[in-house]
Amino acid sequence: MYANDESSGTVSDLCARVIPCLDVAYGRVVKGTNFKELLDMGNPVELAKLYEQQGADELVFLDIKASVDGQDSALEMVRQVACELSIPFAVGGGIKTLDDVHKFFHAGADKVTLNTMAVEKPALINEISTQYGSQSIVVAVDVNHEIDGNLAIYTHGGSRRVDVDYHQWINEVVDRGCGEILLTAMHKDGTGSGFDTDLLAQFGADFPVQVIASGGAKGPSDFLDAIHAGADAVLAAGLFHRSEYTVGEIKEYLINNNIKVRKTTP
Amino acid sequence: MNILTRRTLSRVAIIDLNSGNLLSLQTAIEAAGCELTTVQKPDRKMLNEFDVLVMPGQGRFAYVMQQINDSGWHDFLLEWVRNGKRLVGICVGMQVLFEGSDEDPEVAGLGLFKGRCHKLQHPKTPMVGWAKLSGLKPSMLAVGSPGESEQHTNKTDTSSEAGFLAQPKRRETRFDAYAYFVNSYAITECPFVTAKINYCNSFCAAVQRGNLYGFQFHPEKSGQFGRELIKHVCQ
Repeated sequence: MYANDESSGTVSDLCARVIPCLDVAYGRVVKGTNFKELLDMGNPVELAKLYEQQGADELVFLDIKASVDGQDSALEMVRQVACELSIPFAVGGGIKTLDDVHKFFHAGADKVTLNTMAVEKPALINEISTQYGSQSIVVAVDVNHEIDGNLAIYTHGGSRRVDVDYHQWINEVVDRGCGEILLTAMHKDGTGSGFDTDLLAQFGADFPVQVIASGGAKGPSDFLDAIHAGADAVLAAGLFHRSEYTVGEIKEYLINNNIKVRKTTP
Repeated sequence: MNILTRRTLSRVAIIDLNSGNLLSLQTAIEAAGCELTTVQKPDRKMLNEFDVLVMPGQGRFAYVMQQINDSGWHDFLLEWVRNGKRLVGICVGMQVLFEGSDEDPEVAGLGLFKGRCHKLQHPKTPMVGWAKLSGLKPSMLAVGSPGESEQHTNKTDTSSEAGFLAQPKRRETRFDAYAYFVNSYAITECPFVTAKINYCNSFCAAVQRGNLYGFQFHPEKSGQFGRELIKHVCQ
């Protein structure tokens, strides 16, 4: 639905989104970033601003609360980000209750992402959706292609396999009112072999919520393939953090390949 | 006359209808160089105290209207507009400027514009994300650059609304008109439309009649274009 030719039938001006993901702990961006000066400053806000300048359509901050447990620094970071950014952003990691959710929204986050708690307490999806609207809740589905050929769902940052059927789980999170699915193919994560286009192709054009593809991006063509396969948005971390590509370069490639994306003046 | 020296700091008030976080909007208005106040209830003095009222709205149409009615804003807003003062409605805050919405058919809107909100027909609803605005009218063209196909018309369009709407160095500071939307309902027809988009149906992204402005999208989340638009309507 994001190709400019409109052969797909549905007339829509909606753009495919490119979303950098920032892992944050103790108020610092963690995990392999090449932006040394920003890392040394321990400043996710500065990195977020850089990505916004590059043309990021949205940002996702992960693990922010898990890392501070009960402290206010995560909320303070969210507040700073909200004051500095003029694009939407989601926060996730360690959200356990509706009260946690409220605090993050109150601090200025646009969306929350749930992973472990979505599985452990799925009613929380309904509660958030009812109170704040489905657009405010992203469910992060970590799926792994097991050796036996099955698709397994994982929680706790990909460390714990849970007894949940993948296809049922996708339907359930939609039924419970999530607005987007952040689909991370764990078997692709870090491999640089591209997003899992087979998984993405299972979501048809009339699937009721947007799907963000995550895991496996190595270069611009991977983003294009994911969108062609059916992703509404594409998320990556390492490729941006290691400065292999800027967000702008990815978007330029998509534009040159006739995909509707938001243009920004550099 | 130099437009920068003529302009005084405009006094802007955000109407807090207890429907969502205001931080981004507050930041954007302050960044635009305006004197900002956030208000819960109307007061006649406001007619002299403020130049611009900004009314963001999130949630159901009925909820936002109830907040407007319960806090006494209904009559005040009508008087505000009657006095030719500037009012800017954002998201559901734009929708309530109209007569009603299919979301809550029994609830009357402010009726400042004729027409009703209809549900989006797209399978992925609410619409969440960025879209390029089209059919930009002069007040939007002051900030957004026209699409390639509309390029040839912009010269005459932009000059027609000089004066207080003009931006210094306007030609250099125009931005690609991509806006961030979060909505399930929208106004599909309005003679005062100033920008449109398609999402299965065509709907009004922005409307304007005199000093009455409506944005269906979130300018405070719409990047540099949105920031400039806020500056444009608040100054």
